[in-house]
Amino acid sequence: MTRQKRSRHRLKRTVAPYLYLSPSLVIIGLLMLLPMVTVISYSFQNSAVLRRDSSFAGLKHYQAIFADPVFWASLWHTLYFTCISVIFHMTIGMIFALMLNSDRINPTLRNILRVLYILPWLFTAVIIAVIWRLLLEPNGVVNSILMQLGIIGSKIEWFSSPETALHAVTFANIWAGYPLFMVSLLAGLQGIPKDFYEAADIDGAKAYQKLIFITIPQLMPIIISISLLDFIWTMQVFPLIWITTGGGPIYSTEVLSTYTYKLAFSSYNLSQAAASAVVILLISLGLTLFYIRYQKAR
Amino acid sequence: MAEVILENICKTYGNNFHAIDQLNLSVEDGEFLILVGPSGCGKSTALRMIAGLEDVTSGSLRIGGVDVVDMPPKDRDIAMVFQSYALYPHMTVSENIAFSMRLAGKPKAERKKRVDEIAKTLQLTSLLDSKPANLSGGQRQRVAMGRAMVREPAAFLMDEPLSNLDAKLRVQMRAEITSLQKQLGVTTIYVTHDQTEAMTMGDRVAVLKGGVLQQVDTPKRLYESPVNAFVAGFIGSPSMNLFEATLMGDELTVGAFAIRLQNAAFGRRPGLKSYAGRKVVFGIRPEDLYDSNLESGRKYQTIPAKVTSIEELGSEHIVHLSIDAARVDSGDPDAVQDFGMASNAVAKFEPVSAVRSGSEIRLALDDTKLHFFDPETHLAI
Repeated sequence: MTRQKRSRHRLKRTVAPYLYLSPSLVIIGLLMLLPMVTVISYSFQNSAVLRRDSSFAGLKHYQAIFADPVFWASLWHTLYFTCISVIFHMTIGMIFALMLNSDRINPTLRNILRVLYILPWLFTAVIIAVIWRLLLEPNGVVNSILMQLGIIGSKIEWFSSPETALHAVTFANIWAGYPLFMVSLLAGLQGIPKDFYEAADIDGAKAYQKLIFITIPQLMPIIISISLLDFIWTMQVFPLIWITTGGGPIYSTEVLSTYTYKLAFSSYNLSQAAASAVVILLISLGLTLFYIRYQKAR
Repeated sequence: MAEVILENICKTYGNNFHAIDQLNLSVEDGEFLILVGPSGCGKSTALRMIAGLEDVTSGSLRIGGVDVVDMPPKDRDIAMVFQSYALYPHMTVSENIAFSMRLAGKPKAERKKRVDEIAKTLQLTSLLDSKPANLSGGQRQRVAMGRAMVREPAAFLMDEPLSNLDAKLRVQMRAEITSLQKQLGVTTIYVTHDQTEAMTMGDRVAVLKGGVLQQVDTPKRLYESPVNAFVAGFIGSPSMNLFEATLMGDELTVGAFAIRLQNAAFGRRPGLKSYAGRKVVFGIRPEDLYDSNLESGRKYQTIPAKVTSIEELGSEHIVHLSIDAARVDSGDPDAVQDFGMASNAVAKFEPVSAVRSGSEIRLALDDTKLHFFDPETHLAI
């Protein structure tokens, strides 16, 4: 092989992988990177989109949203909604996964439970929102049961009262989201060698000790990965809140996604909406970087 | 330390499968007993029943004089080494060894002292802070031993602990476990499917087949006096050659040739005379067959054979032969079928043997080493 031929061959080998990657890179660039960069640029412009000759605004819109108490309330609500959701998704998912993995439960019952427990995952956000609106209506099933059991004295307006609305939407989101944890943890549980538990039985471990010393450490990689992903996804939840409460009453369920949406499509303040979206992006990006670093460390 | 006694132990699964049938076994205090047999013979089930990991369907099981049938594993005062070692990957060597002490709520200082003692015995001191993933197979095996030793149990149960090691390391670990057992003097029940491990490690060996105990004896007696054709075929490598023959007077007629038997053969086996004129199964080990051209084989009578193939191992030649005789199956489902269409016998020749594949030879056999079995029951005569 001549030197020229060899260098051409080498060039082909170097370029080939990038050629294979190029279709996906073009699609990601057009559908994700371009809109992202555009939104970032809007956040630094005056009257973005609305005027052709929008001027550079510096950090004005960021200052404006940071000065807005509703933004801080939304941020707090987002963190509450996300943290509580992730914690309960994990706890409920773990309990159900342990139940479905247990030999003590009849296999037929286990199969039925498996289908029942996974049901929330089959519904779209809109259906979940409608179901919970119906259930939590003042004249709905939940109030009626709680009153019959004597837990509450009068009907509670779960989604319409500022005291309960945030808890109610969080509850609906917990119900909708635990199956991801359940399925992932169940797969993880099935991968833990039986020998570990048998060795622990011989060593005298009680059920809770096996959970603490074997099950949870063995599931830790799954728990951390799914928690981080769930955190990122839950932070961005929009339809469930929008359909159940619309961010109200009196901003009590306002989260960053509804706050941004209202800025953009109710107030038509697209520049501030872009600034708020960038804040969400930065928080998500931080978590994503943390997730990537964790994955690399493994 | 304690003796382990199994009386009429049975294990039946839901589908009416009898994994263990009427197992009677007595392991003395400090004894090293090997449970051996082909896959599916029930040896691991028996061990797991002793450990309490499987329920006993019927029978009695005593450890140190205490009936443990209804006792949970932790109260049986036993420690088990698993085939996979069952080391917790998220714990260090030290944490793995000290796990049972931690569960028992022993103080940290006491745990450390005991772990250090064990690590010293097992030469693991420099590895105490390592995770199992960073250890070699042999080191992991030693950690598993350490975890069993830390409890100072009445009995050790080991379930094929060497099967995941390569051949060379297995030989080394075999010696290590044997000497450790002698040093500790703890009653040990060791399950293996490898008859070499069984023969080299145990004080006594219990051979199981299809959930039924075939013979419990010292390795030497198992080799020299197997109670049936299965034990004869299972113990020894390569397996004993078993053929069908007819006893005519003091001769065994086998196909186109005959083997003369000395009077001593009948003296040792009075029952053999009753087979006169009838079929009988005879067995001869590969190491009792000789190349008639060599000095070692000259003193023995010979039979005709054809060499089909030779495995030259350096220290010996494994010679596959074709003999004009009907081979008898010992009943070992795991037996390596090293007999092709053309071969039905194996011999171990000295490496100086000049026999070549395809040649017709006279095969010398030591007739004092013949074993005889009933053709119907396969029981030794």
